[in-house]
Amino acid sequence: MPIRKLPDAPPSVHILGPTVFLVALGVGMGESYMWPRLVLLFGPEIRWLFLIGVTLQAVVMLEMARYAMATGESIFSGAARVFKPLMWFFFAVAILVYIWPGHLSAGAAAFEEITGIPWTVTAVTGLILVGVVFSLAKVIYNVLENLLSVLIGALVIGTAVIAAMVGSWSDVVSTITGMFSIGYLPPEALSAAWFPVIVGACAFAGPSGMQQMWYTLHLRDSGAGMGAHIPRIRGLRHAGEEEAMPSRGFMFDTEDPAEMAKWRGWRRWVTFDALLLFWGVTMLVTISFTVIAQAAARQNPGVRAAIQGDDREVALSAMADAVSSAGSSVLGVVFLGFIALIGLNATLGLFDSFSRGQADMTYNFVPGARRLKMAHLYAGFLWGVIVFGILILLFGPADGPSGILDTLAFLSTFAMGAYCVTLLLVNNRMLPKPIRPRWWSNAIIGFGAVFYLGMLFYSLVAFGVVVG
Amino acid sequence: MVARHSLELAVPGLAVGALAGAMAGGLTLFAGQPGGAALLALPLALFGGLYGMLLGHGPFRPGTFAPAGLLWLLAFPLSRLAQESVAPTGGMADGVLPFLAYQAMVSLGFAIGFLWLHERLMPYWLLRVRARRRNPRADELLAHYVRRASV
Repeated sequence: MPIRKLPDAPPSVHILGPTVFLVALGVGMGESYMWPRLVLLFGPEIRWLFLIGVTLQAVVMLEMARYAMATGESIFSGAARVFKPLMWFFFAVAILVYIWPGHLSAGAAAFEEITGIPWTVTAVTGLILVGVVFSLAKVIYNVLENLLSVLIGALVIGTAVIAAMVGSWSDVVSTITGMFSIGYLPPEALSAAWFPVIVGACAFAGPSGMQQMWYTLHLRDSGAGMGAHIPRIRGLRHAGEEEAMPSRGFMFDTEDPAEMAKWRGWRRWVTFDALLLFWGVTMLVTISFTVIAQAAARQNPGVRAAIQGDDREVALSAMADAVSSAGSSVLGVVFLGFIALIGLNATLGLFDSFSRGQADMTYNFVPGARRLKMAHLYAGFLWGVIVFGILILLFGPADGPSGILDTLAFLSTFAMGAYCVTLLLVNNRMLPKPIRPRWWSNAIIGFGAVFYLGMLFYSLVAFGVVVG
Repeated sequence: MVARHSLELAVPGLAVGALAGAMAGGLTLFAGQPGGAALLALPLALFGGLYGMLLGHGPFRPGTFAPAGLLWLLAFPLSRLAQESVAPTGGMADGVLPFLAYQAMVSLGFAIGFLWLHERLMPYWLLRVRARRRNPRADELLAHYVRRASV
């Protein structure tokens, strides 16, 4: 790689960074439904698995950032340097798993509860709106960061206020102490009915599937580390202003003490992001929703039965009803508003990330793709997934054909184990010695690979079922 | 004049505090419910404004979490206490101390959300202030944000 200067690091107290994407993608159904549901089923002690899941994801985030900040390349390019088919595997998984618009349904259904507007109308309108916004934006990253920051900020203060009004000291104490009941697994948790659900919930603690890999693209586009030397992706309307994309990343001089000092500054910055913003916000929203679910179940025992069921919409409306009884009918509406907000965040984040990732791999590794601009490829993937999504919403099952649902769930969790292995290979083989990960970090990522793949295959071998 | 300078700095914090309170209950007025929850908006807005003033007068540095966390650790439980005192919702059934302790824990999350939104709004607001009239404190704060953004 060509050698360039590493830019100066921002102060580590810089409160906003690309982490907002991970939070927007990561705080979703796992936090608002899956984990509260597990707590009501098995008690707060089951949350130790959540603690492991989110902490593991925070370390994954730091290691993803290592390669992206040191080179300005995405983790996909890193994977291609190690073994090109590995990158194509992720390219294929992204298409298979993320073209289905199922993630829209919960948010749109919550919006229907509030307004009465049919959820398909909301979902289709939302899809078109996302496409228009990203196509008109001059620099897509800026628009998205601003938009998601406001939405996430509103979500965080809103859930905090609602939890403050409906929860109690004992709720939060049991929720937090439950996180340290390491090893607790009630007998029924090891049944064919529930073990796959727990595996799925662990995979959904924080960002799931390929979201962490896409984070490297956001990090690069925000100009973090050597990403400052890579041009930014523009919206379709401004594609003509795009500078030529370099065919490879850059490296800084790791023998120069001044450059290494700047590198340590960047690591401090991203560590602050990972610990306070990512880990803190994800933890906070989950604790808030768990407290709300516990309060709801206390006020209305029917909620417990509803949330234990397999119907997400029923469970969320039951929680909204209980929240209403705690304050006023409007609190229930506000609660559903948050669910709709989570759906919107996930939609914005997923569509942008998917298009960004596929465009990056296509531009760099498909022969002849460089005749197009990155903005054109991005827009092609974006509108492709939007049009496909609209067709499926109108004429097909939103989550994709039921026959392949298990395969998609399997692939999503398998990708997480696979990216842990990829990270170990890329960071330890492609980076210069002075900036390679420490042994303990490698050990945690190695544990992550065993954790995701082990639970996935145990579920498959022992119960013949993939994740729930 | 000095008072105007300080009040202008308080606007974004006031707005975020009021928004948070409104989420919890501002709408209850329209729903014909007792407006107790709406009472939360007032103290949250006042403390939010105070944060903005302290930012302009020097003790707090923009973007740092600790000062905002400490402010809300005290201010959030007090705001909730004021709300419960005027319009009880049964939150203090276990006693005042457990209530305050719980609110203090929740305040940490509230502080993250508050700071997150405040950092988004403040630079834009300062740009507007600069375009309309002279406010040396606002200019100084804006220069700080610009320096940080250019890093």
